[in-house]
Amino acid sequence: MGLSSANTVVNEGFQFCIFDLRRGQHEGQELDKILFFYPADLPFSTQLSVIGLSEGLITFTRIFSPEAACEVIEAERNSHVFHQAEPDIWMVMVVEKSKESDSIWRIDALRRVLKEVHSLFVMFHGSIRSLLDKDPSGELVRSHLYAFIMDYLSAFQKRSTWDVCCCDFLVGKKIKLPSFRDCLKERGTVQMLTVGREAALEVQSLVRVLESCAGNAPCYSLVLFQDLLVSTTLSPDDTINLFTYAVLRLAPNALLSRASSWSYLRKGNTASQIAAASVMASSGSVSEQFYGSRDTSPHGGERSHHVVRPLQHNKWYKGMDGFLVTDIWGPEVGSMVSATPTVLLQQTEERMYLCVYQHKSLTLILLFPISSILNGEQGISVVKQQIVENASLKMLKVEEKLSKGWGGENAYHVGGYRYLLVDGDRNVSRASPPGKVTTLTKESLISLSNLREEIDLEKSRAKWDDPGHEKDLEICIRAKNNAWVIARTTRGKELYMVLEKANETLLFASDAIEKFSNRYCSGAFSLD
Amino acid sequence: MFGKASSSQLSVSLGGSGALSHVYIQHPPLRCSIPGSKGLFYDDGNKLILSPTSNQVFSWKTVPFASHVAPTSDSISEGPVLSIRYSLDSKLLAIQRSNHEIQFWNRETGETFSQRCKSETESILGFFWTDCPKCDIVFVKTSGMDLFSYDSEIKSLHLVETKKMNVSWYVYTHESRLILLASGMQCKSFTGFQLSSAGIIRLPKFEMAMAKSEANNKPVLAAEDVHIITVYGRIYCLQVDKVAMLLHSYRFYRDAVVQQGSLPIYSNKIAISVVDNVLLVHQVDAKVVILYDIFADSRAPISAPLPLLLRGFPRASSSSYRTGNKDTDGSEANDISDHETIIYGDNWIFLVPDLICDVAKRLLWKIHLDLEAISASSSEVPSVLEFLQRRKLEANKAKQLCLGIVRTVILERRPVSMVTRAIDVLVTSYSNSIKTGSYFKGIKAEKPPTSDVSNVNPPTSVVDESIRREDALGKSIKHGSASGVENESLNRSPAFSVSDSEENVSFENSNHLRSLGAKADRENFKVAESSQSEVQKLSLQSQLLGPSNSPLNANNSENLESQVTSAAISPDEMYSCVFASVEEEMAGDPAYFVTIVIEFLRSANVERIKVHPNIYVLTVQLLARHERYAELGLFIINKVETFL
Repeated sequence: MGLSSANTVVNEGFQFCIFDLRRGQHEGQELDKILFFYPADLPFSTQLSVIGLSEGLITFTRIFSPEAACEVIEAERNSHVFHQAEPDIWMVMVVEKSKESDSIWRIDALRRVLKEVHSLFVMFHGSIRSLLDKDPSGELVRSHLYAFIMDYLSAFQKRSTWDVCCCDFLVGKKIKLPSFRDCLKERGTVQMLTVGREAALEVQSLVRVLESCAGNAPCYSLVLFQDLLVSTTLSPDDTINLFTYAVLRLAPNALLSRASSWSYLRKGNTASQIAAASVMASSGSVSEQFYGSRDTSPHGGERSHHVVRPLQHNKWYKGMDGFLVTDIWGPEVGSMVSATPTVLLQQTEERMYLCVYQHKSLTLILLFPISSILNGEQGISVVKQQIVENASLKMLKVEEKLSKGWGGENAYHVGGYRYLLVDGDRNVSRASPPGKVTTLTKESLISLSNLREEIDLEKSRAKWDDPGHEKDLEICIRAKNNAWVIARTTRGKELYMVLEKANETLLFASDAIEKFSNRYCSGAFSLD
Repeated sequence: MFGKASSSQLSVSLGGSGALSHVYIQHPPLRCSIPGSKGLFYDDGNKLILSPTSNQVFSWKTVPFASHVAPTSDSISEGPVLSIRYSLDSKLLAIQRSNHEIQFWNRETGETFSQRCKSETESILGFFWTDCPKCDIVFVKTSGMDLFSYDSEIKSLHLVETKKMNVSWYVYTHESRLILLASGMQCKSFTGFQLSSAGIIRLPKFEMAMAKSEANNKPVLAAEDVHIITVYGRIYCLQVDKVAMLLHSYRFYRDAVVQQGSLPIYSNKIAISVVDNVLLVHQVDAKVVILYDIFADSRAPISAPLPLLLRGFPRASSSSYRTGNKDTDGSEANDISDHETIIYGDNWIFLVPDLICDVAKRLLWKIHLDLEAISASSSEVPSVLEFLQRRKLEANKAKQLCLGIVRTVILERRPVSMVTRAIDVLVTSYSNSIKTGSYFKGIKAEKPPTSDVSNVNPPTSVVDESIRREDALGKSIKHGSASGVENESLNRSPAFSVSDSEENVSFENSNHLRSLGAKADRENFKVAESSQSEVQKLSLQSQLLGPSNSPLNANNSENLESQVTSAAISPDEMYSCVFASVEEEMAGDPAYFVTIVIEFLRSANVERIKVHPNIYVLTVQLLARHERYAELGLFIINKVETFL
């Protein structure tokens, strides 16, 4: 695939591109269709050949199934994962297969990365198509995509030491993709805190008070405790997006890592920042004109737009009043006050102000429609004041109640089991704590990863054959190390499990799963 | 002047509750005029108005109060009448003939006998009958108290005990069973006794505070200045300090008398009434009345001073004094009606607890609270609800008012915090009523050790606990009242409390009372509530059984009964009278309504009360109709909506 510079060697085996099939259909204008390419410093010829191959495959497979073109190409040395994010806008991820075991992954897990980055992008910037419509030259969308995805990829590497469950793609200079080790996780789902009725009522009571603070404007809220969702009034898709963002940037852990990174992680920190910077710098020289200015300074000069980079890390901090503040959105026009962040809701397609309040482990995310808040920032500060006045006592109470009831990070550990429970209808998942998952052997994890791959395939096939009717599945595999690797799906719920008890019989395994199902899933996976 | 003022208000008050007064007397009064009457006497032990003539004594029942009660009569012999009282079993009639002699009639046999003072130096100040086990009648003399018991065999009194002390004057109310004996130069040293069915308790001696106007001028306390009142089963003494223009209050405990603070007064003449546990301080000169609810810690009046209203008086006669009153019967109607409407006239005597006697016109009025006016006069909704929840005389009215208020605040979309507090008040009140109810049930079912029973349940046990004492009695009662209303927040240590079994409410629940018979004022509270709790259980049962009609009917009848005795609002009623009806009227965004429902559920959950399952149905429907599935899902998962 053409020449490779010194830089691309580093990130060899990983390419990520976004292109628009409606653009660049004429000879000589091919570059026009590229909206994003990583690594950016690949020669355009290489970029175009990757995109050309993908485009060709898409066009070809569309002949057979116009609705759903190709999803994946498995070549000898690499896999191409496709995702049609918006009509005719495709995201393609190319990953190299290597002998290293780390590169054993699930295609579906990779596709979920694509989905996630797209939905987050839409939440902050609106759809790619709308940005293209706004600026047909593509400069606007390219600069936004570039900043956003680079932040997404380069993000959180220092969090890897903190929290294994968050995505850390770019470790050092290498993109680290979700691998078989993450097979007891499900991207694109929320993790919920289980609360008792009393606490739930308190939370609901708090939510209502919060919403009443905005007056008559419709207002949405999301309540998190640590990294777990407690309450939401948003639609499921919006909930996932905001939840993902909150866990990445807003939750106490996310803020904490920022504070402590100064101390002992300082070295690693700067190193990685250099890495990220070098990626950007190296690409900058090549395609400065192409991707537009990455000058994010508010007074960027003649460049017409200021690129907001919501995924930039270390940009949120706790203000005096308990609200989290950031300067990501730049200063308010004509003032020194940072502008309040805004997000776009998928369901209502309404732009909302994003206010985040934090008290200890409790994070409250509040969304107020821009249209309903008069006087912009002034109106927001009035609402914030209202919240502090009316709800702070309740927040204290709720935080206290939830803290009391919380079992710590191993709260959802079930002795003897390593599991993942996904409720596809509600987009909720629960899994064994990461610390416990790491005790599993590599063999078990690889077996489970492969099993999940099978299930994914089976699921999509079932969907194809008989849409609207889900198949019940049960697979128990004895792995090489004698561990039982089990998958069971029923009525939109999936349960994956590893039982590393050698020499136990299948009877034992199915007994164990029955017990688990009765105890923790209200019998959803029980056979009778 | 106020006669006119009040009559001009009449047009308003007839139309509904004019908010120009909070307390009213209802026309027509009870007429106690008998030709040849020698005056009117009030027998508070039997709640009778007595009017002796030269050879007869007529008596009118004042409970239940009705204007058309016909008098009964007994014949007596001629002679002066200083005081007159029937024995508590109504078999004997005692008349104080002079300072040294009291004469007795046996009503059945007509036999008479007299009891005289031993020495001429002492004189009888008064007497009263008691239900104390030791004695039947107590003579209060300048030299102390003589306790006698009546021997029906030999048909005479025999002296049980004498308590020697100097007495200037005394105050006694049968309601509290408490006698206060004043002594000293200023008559401000007091010795108190409570003579109840539980025995005789001597209170520690105490002094009342009196301000001095000048250095050498020491005011003397008069009997009219000291009032014993019974509120929420606690006994207080109110003392008018005319110099300081303050009304001092003292609360009686078993072994202590504690001053509780003072209320300002605005008139030289003060009268006190207690209606449904609300303290009414009549500022007679100013012709206004101020209401206090002692239950609350605050000494602030419930509402602004307003005149006492005469209600239901025919307009024709009130607009013109000279017009004859055609409604009134009897020949003296005309001349009486002339001055009937003089509110706070000089002839008014205030009787314990809530009666007014117009001695000159021989009329008896009963004071009523205008709950509507009181609740309309304050915008502080939660405290109004608290006040209404404590009313039991017009419990049904209070309850309806509460329901109306809650409906209104929700419909008017008042701030959530305020509605929340309002709901909390109602739920807590209901919860307390349930707890006390179940407490009684528990006693019935489990039959605790007899010692306990005897301590808790003597029909009229008097004192319930000293402030610090931890004896068996104290403990058992503490245990008993741990869940009681009395014990609720404001009442740190149960009061020196009262028994009054013939109070207005108890007769309706006598079946409950018989085995229990604790202190009466509480009784009323608790019995009301115990029946309420049974209703609740019944209704829950019926819901469990499914929506059939027959148990519902049973509920209704039970409910009617409970409505009479308690203002507590069950969750079922909250649902049917508030949420269901409000929901129909509330259009648009359901957020506010759902908020209120959540607050109600939260409040009910805190108090561990089951709510009506339909409220869940209502919420689910509402959320589903507005496509708020995220919340609905959460509700279900977190079991906010728990279905039976």
